[in-house]
Amino acid sequence: MISFIIRRLIITIPTILVVITLTWGLIRLAPGNFYTGEKKIPKAIENNIREKYGLNKPWYVQYGKMMGHVVLLDFGNSLKYEGQSVNQIIARSLPVSAAIGISAYLLALIVGILLGSIAALKQNSKWDYASMALAMLGISIPNFVLGPILVLVFSLTLYWFPPARWYGFPSRGAVLPILTLSALYMAYIARLTRAGMLEVLRSDYIRTARSKGLSERQVVIRHALRGGLMPVVSFTGPALAFLLTGTVVVERIFALPGLGNYFIQASLNRDEPLIIGIVAFIAITLLLMNLLVDIAYGYLDPRIRY
Amino acid sequence: MKDDRPTIPGEVDRVDKPEPGLTPDPAPSYREGDVIHTAPEFVIADLDVLAAERGDVVEGSSLWRDAWRRLLKNKLAVFGMIVVTLVAIASIVGPAIIKRTTGYAPDTIPSDAKLIKSYPPFRAPDGSFSWLHPLGTDNQGRDMLARVLQGGQISLMVGIIATIVSLLIGVAYGAVAGYLGGRIDNLMMRFVDILYSLPYIILVIVLLAMFRRNTPMGQLVLLFVALGSVSWLTMARIVRGQVLSLKNQEFVLAARATGVSTLRIIFRHIVPNTLGPVIVYATLTIPTIMLTEAFLSFLGFGVQPPLASWGTLATDGIQNIGIFPWQMVFPGLTMALTLFSLNFLGDGLRDALDPQMRKL
Repeated sequence: MISFIIRRLIITIPTILVVITLTWGLIRLAPGNFYTGEKKIPKAIENNIREKYGLNKPWYVQYGKMMGHVVLLDFGNSLKYEGQSVNQIIARSLPVSAAIGISAYLLALIVGILLGSIAALKQNSKWDYASMALAMLGISIPNFVLGPILVLVFSLTLYWFPPARWYGFPSRGAVLPILTLSALYMAYIARLTRAGMLEVLRSDYIRTARSKGLSERQVVIRHALRGGLMPVVSFTGPALAFLLTGTVVVERIFALPGLGNYFIQASLNRDEPLIIGIVAFIAITLLLMNLLVDIAYGYLDPRIRY
Repeated sequence: MKDDRPTIPGEVDRVDKPEPGLTPDPAPSYREGDVIHTAPEFVIADLDVLAAERGDVVEGSSLWRDAWRRLLKNKLAVFGMIVVTLVAIASIVGPAIIKRTTGYAPDTIPSDAKLIKSYPPFRAPDGSFSWLHPLGTDNQGRDMLARVLQGGQISLMVGIIATIVSLLIGVAYGAVAGYLGGRIDNLMMRFVDILYSLPYIILVIVLLAMFRRNTPMGQLVLLFVALGSVSWLTMARIVRGQVLSLKNQEFVLAARATGVSTLRIIFRHIVPNTLGPVIVYATLTIPTIMLTEAFLSFLGFGVQPPLASWGTLATDGIQNIGIFPWQMVFPGLTMALTLFSLNFLGDGLRDALDPQMRKL
């Protein structure tokens, strides 16, 4: 196990560096610069700006400086939000994204596993059809369509929840973003649970459990769920990636000051330190979480050896 | 608990016919009760029965004909196929027909200043019922139906072209890796593993934001490249797996023995045999890419005006959701319906062509 973790870390660290290099390369290869806008600025001022931000140095010096920042996990100051360091911005916006993301994922797990298990236990019944149709709907409706529809119904018609802005967590304002974000995972998890459970319910050990006289409930909860949920566990990795794209959209729809919203702003502003900082942060989190998922997988399924 | 009986190969168990009183299976991808999937002998038995029922002489049946027959049995897949076809036809010919009948092209802004405002569906400017704008108009008085149909053209085009890009890269990469095997395969698939773990959507956003084109066509091409080049990974894995299982079969040996070149063996002899899973996965890639395109358009990095996709139309409508909900709801729901149908079609194809592949 230890050697597995070490081997994985050996791949993970270069991967993070590749992501950051790619991002940096894309920013630098693109025509123009962060200070170029509609208005043309005088040559002297441009030279001053280039001097100030070290843009007149050779590219490898700049690259080295950027990488130095990344290695120390100190990404410098934002170009757009003056006087704020990238780390401050991340520290401020992360709790917003994390609160929404984690609650959405938990909600999706609970509802998804429930729907999926019911569908599998009552295969080919109307429960099965209803929950699977619902799941397909969840996969097919883009979240930026679902979000505004929820706002239209629950905020602008029924006045139950505020339509936008961040009111802290937990609060009424967080309900619609969480619902919007969790719909997609709910659907995926329901489908995965159903598939996993159907396969497990047909296996020999479940027959053994039944034939030794266990109650249906014990068979399902103690025996079937453990095996049936394996696909859901391995979905956690991709789910994190979905979560990222999802939070970007949800934060835009509901005007939440989260990481995704800052990332889009930074990309539009060509705010290089902020882009690099957020990308590095996301890459590190994603890859470490994937590692954790793999380790958890090994514990849950003792047949898997690394 | 009839479904929990262990399946005995060869035992003919007609589960493929829906039970009376129940609607047919809406989630065909997981019809695990189907003996068809587990007992190969049954497929033959089933075909004999079918042929006998029709009174035909039992004749040889190709994989494709079998698959087609299985697909037609799946009501939801047929529904998906019909909807997708209708949406595609309507998107292609619809705007022209509307132009002919009402004079509104998708980008026609009425010359009368009084008409430059958003009307609800089926309403004439004076509030009475009218067939002129069945889906209403947008803020500039443009016909929503024409715009939604033209948006369909762009959305479907992005979905299909980017899928073709990913198909070409994925199939070539996977086939070469699988056929060559050994160290090269190991290296190539390691590379795919690394790409898999990248937060690619983040990179796509950076790419699109940095290289934003001012011409709509340029942006569209950038979008094809960006979407196609990040979605070939799964395709490469699938094709490689197929090739690995095919390359030691007799027909490949025969080709090699008669002196066919490696490239020709890969692309003329092996790749055509992987088409089943490739078609299935491609069908499922189209909705994913359309969704990603819509997501990017929502963020402002996708299709640029004057072109409009369902994603951009819905995004434009979000601003006015409280006052003119039809501006968002119609493109949004049309898109959802199309994706829904494409997903069902893809699932149905998977069941029909490749009963083994039952993952997501």
